[in-house]
Amino acid sequence: NCAPIPSPLPPDERHGEASPAAMSPPSLCAAPPRAGPPPPPLLRLRRRAASSVAASRAAAPSVSDDLVLRIAEQLEDAAPSSPLLDPLRSASALSLLTTPWPTRRSNEAFRFTDISYLRSLPISTPTRTPGLAPPPPPSDLESHVLFSDGRLVAASGAHVSALADMPPGHARDRAAAAVAASARFSHRDIFYDFNAVGASDVAVVYVPEWAKMADDPVHIMFAYSGSDGASLMMSNPRVLVIAEKGAEVAIVEEHFGVGEEDGGCYWANPVVDIIVEEGARVVHSYVQRQSPAAAHTKWTTVQQNTSSKYEFVEVSTGARLNRHNLHIQQLGPETETELSTFHLTSQNKQIHDLHSRLILDHPRGFSRQLHKLIACGTGNGIFDGNIQVNRYAQQTDAGQQTKCLLLSPKAVVNVKPNLQIIADDVKCTHGAAISGDLDPNELFYFQARGVDAKTATDALLFSFGAQVINRIPFKAIEKKALAQLKELLAVSRQNN
Amino acid sequence: MRSWGRTAPARAPSQRFLLAIHTTRSLAGLFMSFQAPIEIPGVSNYDFLLMAINARREKDGLPALGPLEFYSVVSQKVEALKMEPKILDRNVNEGFSGGERKRNEILQLSVLGADLALLDEIDSGLDVDALEDVAHAVNGLLTPQNSVLMITHYQRLLDLIKPSYVHIMESGKIVKTGDSSLASHINEGGYKSIASFV
Repeated sequence: NCAPIPSPLPPDERHGEASPAAMSPPSLCAAPPRAGPPPPPLLRLRRRAASSVAASRAAAPSVSDDLVLRIAEQLEDAAPSSPLLDPLRSASALSLLTTPWPTRRSNEAFRFTDISYLRSLPISTPTRTPGLAPPPPPSDLESHVLFSDGRLVAASGAHVSALADMPPGHARDRAAAAVAASARFSHRDIFYDFNAVGASDVAVVYVPEWAKMADDPVHIMFAYSGSDGASLMMSNPRVLVIAEKGAEVAIVEEHFGVGEEDGGCYWANPVVDIIVEEGARVVHSYVQRQSPAAAHTKWTTVQQNTSSKYEFVEVSTGARLNRHNLHIQQLGPETETELSTFHLTSQNKQIHDLHSRLILDHPRGFSRQLHKLIACGTGNGIFDGNIQVNRYAQQTDAGQQTKCLLLSPKAVVNVKPNLQIIADDVKCTHGAAISGDLDPNELFYFQARGVDAKTATDALLFSFGAQVINRIPFKAIEKKALAQLKELLAVSRQNN
Repeated sequence: MRSWGRTAPARAPSQRFLLAIHTTRSLAGLFMSFQAPIEIPGVSNYDFLLMAINARREKDGLPALGPLEFYSVVSQKVEALKMEPKILDRNVNEGFSGGERKRNEILQLSVLGADLALLDEIDSGLDVDALEDVAHAVNGLLTPQNSVLMITHYQRLLDLIKPSYVHIMESGKIVKTGDSSLASHINEGGYKSIASFV
C-alpha cells in the first residue's frame, strides 16, 4: 500500500465529449451532476456506490481494500464514458467496494499463485494516443481486430465491430444484452471487475444464424508497448463473441509485446466472453507470448447452448505472471467441449497458472481437457482443473488429463484436478502425471539408433509441447508457435 | 555399473543405462532390434528415421539430409517391406500391433544399415506373409561385409533366412555350434536330442 497515486488527468480531458450532467444514464449508479472541482479520487467511487447501496437497501458496505479501490479509481478516471457498458461497470464497481485483494491464505483461488508482482510497481494507464503502432495483421486473414495497449484501434471484417460503432439493430441489442448480463457473472473476481471498470469499449464478433465462417478466422491481436519499467501499465481490452444458432466461427487471439527487444513492463487484464448458441460452433486459438516483464491476467468465459461445440487451444509462453481463468457454463444438453492448453515457463520465476472450470447442468455433454506444462529453471506452474457434473448432467462423458514436466530441481508445479460429480450415471476420467525426466525408455530407443541424448531430449521436449500446438487449426499460427517453442527450449537449455 | 576405468557418476536407477556408449555402438554399426519395441508419442516415424540417419551422416562427415531429400530414400524401403507410406506420418510405433512394430524395426535396419544386426525374436507376432516380407528384406541387406545374428525359437524363420552358423545357448552359455542342419535336427528331435552330440 505504499505506491504513490499518479495524478489524475485534468478535469476537462477526463470525460471526453459528453457533458458532465448528461453522463450517467439512470441506473444503479445515479451520481449527482458534477459541479465545481472534482472530488478527491478516493471518495468518488465510494460516494457512487453509497447512493446505489442506499437505493438497493443492501447492508452497509463492509471494509474496502485501499489498493483495490485505488486501482479501480485510476481505471475509472482513464476510461471514457460508454452508456452501453454502464450496467457492467456499475455492478463491478459495487463488487470492488467489498472485495479484498486476494492473498494466498484468504483466497483458495490464489492459494498457489503468487501475484505480488502486481503490487511491485505503481499502476499507470495508457495515454490517449496509442503507443507504438502494432504490426500489420497477416494479409491472409480477412477479419481482424487490433487492440493497442488495451484500446481498440481497428475492427474490420464482415461480422466484427466495436460495440459503440454498431448500428442499431438486432445484433447491437444482442451484444448490449450480453454485456449487461455479464454484470451478473457469479464467479467474478477482482480481475474480472477491474476489466469491467476499465474497459473503454468492447470488440464484438457477431456471427448471425447459420453463417459458416470457421475457415476464415477472425484474428484478434492485442499489442502492448507498456512502460520502460517505472510502472506497470495496465490495460483492459474486452471482447465479446456471439455465435448465433447454427453459426460457425473461428477466433485466433494473440497477445504480444511490441517495442524494444525485451518488451515493455505492463499488466494486461483482458476478458473474452463467448456465447455459443444452439448448434453453433466456435473454434478458439489463443496464443500468449507477452514480454518477460509483463503480467497477464485473463478471463475467458464461455456459455454453451444445446448441441453446441467449443474447441479451445491455448499456447502460453510469455509474461512473468500469467493467470488464465477459463470458465465454461453449459446451458443445454449434448454439448461438446474440447480444451487443450500448453504452458511453458522458460524464464526464471515465471508463473503460469490455468484455473479452469467447466459446469455441466444438462445431460449428455461430451468434454475432453488436456493440459500440458513444462517448467524450467525456477519456474512455477499451477493447474486447477474443476469440472462440476451436477444433478441433471446425466450421461456426461468427461475426461481430463494433465501432464507436467519439471526440468530442473527448483521448478515447482501445483496440480489440483478436481471433479465434483453429483449425477450418478456418468463417465468421468481424470489423470495427472508429473515427472522430472523424460521417459528413459524413449531416450534409450533414440540412443540405440545412434541419436545422442541431447538431440533426443530436444526432440522429446519439443514433441511434448507440439502435441498441443498441433491442434491449432491454422497452419501459419501453428508454425509460428512451433518455431517459438523450439527457440525457447534452446534458450532454456543454454541457461540451465 | 563400472565402465572402462572410470567411475560413472551417481544417477537415479532409471538413468543408469543412458550412457553415451549406446549411441557410439549404434554409430559403429551395431543394430539391435528390440523384442518389444516401445511407442514414442509425439515423434513421427519419419522424423525418428531422419534424426538417426543424420546422426550417422554427421559421424561420417556428410551433410545432413533435409526432410524432402530423405523422403525418396525412405519411401522406397517402405514399399519394399510392403508397408503403407502413411505409417511414416504416424508416431513411432503408435497404435502398431506387435508384428507391425517388428516390421518397423526391420524398416529402420534397412534405412540405417548395420555391420552387425542383432534380431531378437523378429519372427514373433508376424503372420506367414509378413514374415516372408521381413525375411526378404533381411536377405537383401546381407553382404559379404556384414552379418546378422538372429534369436529365435522356431524353424520357419531359418527356412527363409538360411543361417551359416547355428549356436544353441543354455543357461547363458553356448553349448553347441553347427550349421543349419543342427537346427533341423533340433526341430525334429527336440533339444534333448543334442545331448548325444555334447
